[in-house]
Amino acid sequence: MSRRYRQSDVMRLMPGPLVVVIVVVLLIVVLLPVLYMLLSSVNSDTAVAAGGFWPRSLHFDNYLKVWSTVNLAGGIGNSVLVCAATAVVSSVLAIATAFVLVRFSFFGRIGILRALLALQSIPGTLILLPVFVLFSTIGQTLGVAIVGTRWGLFLTYLTFALPFSTWVMVTYLRGLPVELEEAARIDGASSWRVLVRIVVPLSWPGIVVAAIFAFLLGWNDVLFSSALTNPGTRTAAVVLQAFAASQEGGAIPTYGQMMAASLICAVPVVVLYLVFQRYLVGGLTAGGVK
Amino acid sequence: MVSTAPGAVRRSNRRLAARREGRPLWMLAPGGVLMVVVIVVPLIIALIISLLDLDQYTLRSWLQAPFIGLKNYVEAVGGSQLMPSVGISVSFAVIVAVVSLPIGAAAALATQNAFRGRAIVRSCFLIPYVLPAFVVGTVWRTIFLRGGVVDQAFGLFGAHPGLWLNGPQSYWSLILVQLWTSWPFAYLLVLAGLQAVENEVHEASALDGAGWWHKLWYVIFPYLRGPAALAVVITFLHNFNAFTLPYVLFGVPAPDAVDVLPLLTYVTSFQSFRFGLSAAIAVCSLIIVAIPLFAYLRAVRLDVGEKREVRA
Repeated sequence: MSRRYRQSDVMRLMPGPLVVVIVVVLLIVVLLPVLYMLLSSVNSDTAVAAGGFWPRSLHFDNYLKVWSTVNLAGGIGNSVLVCAATAVVSSVLAIATAFVLVRFSFFGRIGILRALLALQSIPGTLILLPVFVLFSTIGQTLGVAIVGTRWGLFLTYLTFALPFSTWVMVTYLRGLPVELEEAARIDGASSWRVLVRIVVPLSWPGIVVAAIFAFLLGWNDVLFSSALTNPGTRTAAVVLQAFAASQEGGAIPTYGQMMAASLICAVPVVVLYLVFQRYLVGGLTAGGVK
Repeated sequence: MVSTAPGAVRRSNRRLAARREGRPLWMLAPGGVLMVVVIVVPLIIALIISLLDLDQYTLRSWLQAPFIGLKNYVEAVGGSQLMPSVGISVSFAVIVAVVSLPIGAAAALATQNAFRGRAIVRSCFLIPYVLPAFVVGTVWRTIFLRGGVVDQAFGLFGAHPGLWLNGPQSYWSLILVQLWTSWPFAYLLVLAGLQAVENEVHEASALDGAGWWHKLWYVIFPYLRGPAALAVVITFLHNFNAFTLPYVLFGVPAPDAVDVLPLLTYVTSFQSFRFGLSAAIAVCSLIIVAIPLFAYLRAVRLDVGEKREVRA
C-alpha cells in the first residue's frame, strides 16, 4: 500500500473519463445554440425559417442588410451613449461611497451595506411604473421632458447600477492595504486628497469591473428602455426585441438578419468579458448579480 | 467568499481602519440621493398606487385618483391571475435554481484539475451566462420556431413534439432556456468554493486511500455547502425577477403557462392600464422575494471586521 502519489493525483477530484464526459456534454449543450446563432446569421432568411442548421449558401450580406431593415445603428448609438455615461458616473459615485463605507465608521453603516445588497433584488417591474409616474410628474412640473429622453434612461440605469457598483468597490477596497492611506494622513492629506491621490490610483481593477457591470446593466436592459424611450431614443436591446416580435406579423420574415443583429448586440458584451475575464469573474461572485 | 477582492493583496493581520474623526460623509450624498429618488421614493409611490383606483384616465393627476384601500389586493388575490402566476414563478425559479446546482458543480469539479485547453473550456462555460438575456431570448425563440430547427431535429426521429412557445409545453421551454443561461453562475460559485479547500485536505484524504466519490462526498462537499446555498438563493432571486427572457421569448401577453409575475405586472400596467392593480401585484411579488432575500442577507457577512478569514 506504499504507493507514491504525484501531486496531481493527490489533487484529483474525478477520474479522467468522467471529466471528459462532463466537459464534452456541457460544451455541446453550451456551444450548439451559439453555433446555431453564428450559422443562422449567414444563412438565408427562408432557410432559417424552415429549420435549416447548416447553411447551403453563405449570406454575409445579412450583416449589411440588417442596418437598413431596422434602425440598429440608432439603437446601438443610444445604448453606447447611455451605458457609457452610466458606467463612468456610477463608478465615480461608487468609489466615493465605498471609500466612506469601508474606511470610516458611522451610525447606519451596516444598514447601508445591507441595503446595497437588498436593493439589487427589488423586482424592476415593481419600480418601473412609479419611475414612469415620477418622471412624468417631475417633467410636467418643471416643463421639461424626461420620459422618452436618454436623460431619463441614464438616471434610471445609474441608480440601478449604483448598489452593485458600490458593492464591488466595497469588496475591492477591503482588500487594499490601509498603510498608504495612513501615511498620507500623517502627512496631513484630507480625506478628499487621500481618495483622489491614493485610493483611486490603486483601485483601477475594481473601477474597471464596476464600470463594466454598470455598462452591461444598461446594455442588457429591456424593461425600462421599452417603457421610458420613444422610437428615436430606443436602445439596441429594444430595437432587437421589437425586430423579433415583428417577425410573426406575417410580413416576409428576416430571420437570418435577425440572427446577425443578435450577434452584433452580443459581441461587445462577450468581448468585454473575455478581455476582462479574470477581474469580472471575481466581481460576479462578489455581489451575485448578473 | 463575498469579500474576495480580485487581485487584492490579502493580509491576515490587517486592522479595520475605521476612523471616527473627519468623516467625509458628504461623499455618500450623490449616490444616496439618487438611490432614494429613483428606488426608495418609487417604492413608496408603488405602495401608494397599489391603494388607488388608478387607470390611464386618472394617471395624469395620480394623486387625486380615488383611494380604494386594499381593494386592489383583494382583486389580485381573489382574481384568476395572481395565484397561478405566483405558482408558475415560484416553481419555475425553484426548479431552475435547484437543477443548475448539480450541473454547475459537475462543471466546476471537472475543470478544477488542470488539463490541456482548460482555459478555453472555462471561457466557453461562461458564454451562456454573459450573453445578454435579450439575445438569448431571440436566439431560442428562433430555435423553437414552429417548423424550426428543433422541430426538424425531432422530425428526423419521426417525433412531432408540438408547440414550444405556446400552450402548456412553453413552461418547460422557459425552464430549459433559463437553465441554459443560468447554470454557469452556480459553476462560478462552486469554483470559488473549491479554492477554499486546502492542499492538506487533499493529501489527508489521499493518505486515507479514499476513492474519488468518497472524497467528494465526505471531504469536498462539506466545503461547498455555503457557496452552493448561496448559488441556489441568488439564482432563485434572479430568475424570480427575470423579465427580459420570458418577455423576449414569448412576447406579451404571454401564454398562460409562462405568465410569470414580472410579465403579469407589466401587462397589467402597460397593456390593460390597471395601474393600481399592477402595483398591488408587484407588491405581492416583493413580499415573496423578501423571504429568500432575508435568508441571503443573514448569510452574507457584511462587515469584514467580523469575518474570520479562511487562509489557503
